[in-house]
Amino acid sequence: MQWQWGKWQWGILFLIGLGWAMSTMGGGRPVYDGLILDFRDDLPQAQIERQLASLGLSAQPNSPFSAAEQTYVLAGDRRQLKQLRRSDLKALTEAIEPNYVYSAATAPNDPDYPQQWNFRSINVEQAWDSTHGEGVTVAVIDTGITPVKDLGQTKIVKGYNFVDNSRDTSDDSGHGTHIAGTIAQSTNNGYGVAGIAHGAALMPLKVLGASGSGTVVDIAEAIRYAADQGADVINMSLGGMGDSAVLSQAIDYAHSKGVVMVAAAGNAGENAAAYPARYGHVIAVSATDATDTKAPYSNYGAGVNIAAPGGSLGEAQTGGILQDTIVPDKGTSELRSLQGTSMATAHVTGVAALVLSSGIDDPDEVAQVLYQSSRMSRTDELNYLGAGHLDAAAAVKLAQVGQISPRDFFRWLNRNGYLNLRFWFDGGVVALLPKVGMVLGSYLLAWLLRTYLPMGWAWNGWLTSGLMVGSAGAFLLRGLYVFDLPQWPMRVMGSSIPELGTAIGASGVLNPITASALIPLGLLSLLLSHHTLKWFAMGSTLGVASCLAISAVLSPTLLWLGGGAIASIFLLANAGCCLALAYLALKTEAAR
Amino acid sequence: MSGDTITVEGTMTHSSMGMGAWALQGDKETYEVYQGKPAELQQEGLRVRVTGQVRKDVMTLAMIGPVFEVQQVETL
Repeated sequence: MQWQWGKWQWGILFLIGLGWAMSTMGGGRPVYDGLILDFRDDLPQAQIERQLASLGLSAQPNSPFSAAEQTYVLAGDRRQLKQLRRSDLKALTEAIEPNYVYSAATAPNDPDYPQQWNFRSINVEQAWDSTHGEGVTVAVIDTGITPVKDLGQTKIVKGYNFVDNSRDTSDDSGHGTHIAGTIAQSTNNGYGVAGIAHGAALMPLKVLGASGSGTVVDIAEAIRYAADQGADVINMSLGGMGDSAVLSQAIDYAHSKGVVMVAAAGNAGENAAAYPARYGHVIAVSATDATDTKAPYSNYGAGVNIAAPGGSLGEAQTGGILQDTIVPDKGTSELRSLQGTSMATAHVTGVAALVLSSGIDDPDEVAQVLYQSSRMSRTDELNYLGAGHLDAAAAVKLAQVGQISPRDFFRWLNRNGYLNLRFWFDGGVVALLPKVGMVLGSYLLAWLLRTYLPMGWAWNGWLTSGLMVGSAGAFLLRGLYVFDLPQWPMRVMGSSIPELGTAIGASGVLNPITASALIPLGLLSLLLSHHTLKWFAMGSTLGVASCLAISAVLSPTLLWLGGGAIASIFLLANAGCCLALAYLALKTEAAR
Repeated sequence: MSGDTITVEGTMTHSSMGMGAWALQGDKETYEVYQGKPAELQQEGLRVRVTGQVRKDVMTLAMIGPVFEVQQVETL
């Protein structure tokens, strides 16, 4: 017995020692450099500056792009972090947190790389730990590629000039060379900037002339050429509004040969992607700016699959995508900042090459990896972003794990939508779980009330449609987009009663007039005397109660009232009112 | 593949999309002027009435709207 107790003592001592060793290990705590103050977006800048001055803090905006999010950085340690979190600033900020230092071990030595904000937006450095796109051939169907100095170490295979029908694929515009740069600019060569898949080979296919336009016949032939010559990915930073059977067949042919195709959604700022991005088997890319929001020019909505940085030059001509390209008039090259869904497309093509290089070779699986690994936006009511923001590191990680989930319902809808080209469904836009919760919640409330007040109930179609309309509406319609038509009628039909107030504006916030007990009160007072419609009023009252209660716990935002506790209390109080209204109405009914 | 001949009235603007392109802003639609031609159209703010065809068989890198091949220009 004595010996046994000794063994336990040794065991406990060992565990204490292990715990101490772990707690003193350097890597246990992440390193951070100062603190971040993320002020509420509705605060005027002057008020923020005043508040900082009154606390004696010298905080600076993090970058010229910090204005929208009002993000400030300042020097500080763990002690100051705790103090700030207890100070008056707490009420004025969305977050007070450490400014963690992310490892930059894989940052390349290209001197202008720090200007490539777009590469940080897509987390490309962590992806480079695993692959640079080795063994992959990327066809660039564009204005040609001139092997400028910063493409010096990039492998360029033989291509074709479909404009002049020759082997001379040099660029007379500057666009194609820029696109080639984003995909595979020579990296770690101590010169210029970096490229995403700089281990991949480029295949220049010239279909656009110096004026930047070309015909669908040339583009279709270039697609078939790329597929026959062993290209793995095709980048099409071009588009038009004409549907073409020749082009569509070429795309189907390339897809059947296992080629991934990526194309630009277009720069008209309109709802619906251009051709060829619109075709099934083509990944359609919308553009975001340096603040991760949709660039003003980018097409959106129907057909858009994923978003990537396309930049936005603005009046200051900053915030574009920087690559080395040819200046045709001078015959020299320069680092040039450009904007467009063209540039965004090249980012997705580059990451597709990294995914292919990581062992995935089926084009549909490559697309799935890109979509599943993208950073979804919680508020993307108009499908600005498709599956979300492109994330190179997450895509490569997912590709390596090889965890491709089976084809699900949304993918099936998505594909069939592409095939008939009449509608497009984005499953990601509708957060299904809360909606299902709202419908189930309304049924649960009805069931509870029936248990409590069993007299006078009629469980009929009017009641159930009331429950549905009040709680969630025909919510799947919210994700339905018809090409070239406005989406608001779908949103209105797909909205529950509380969502109606903001359905047309597509803002994602709730309007406190419709997201309240007002409409149920109106419906009950109008319909309670009708022998069947009263059940619709009753059902919708319970539905609204469920919708408001669930919205209250899902970090809600209300028009005029804002978010946080005020919004939650407002919604909960109104949910309670609805429940009370339904109870009173039923009691009256039972008493008859 | 070209459409019927149409007449559009609008204002010329230069777009900075891609490598830059000339746009004709009509009342209902913004067109991309095919190859920026004729050269007399390349003036910011110029009011014009143009006759020509929408080229559905053409794709561009600027992608700012339907491609309009101008045949006749009348300055307003």
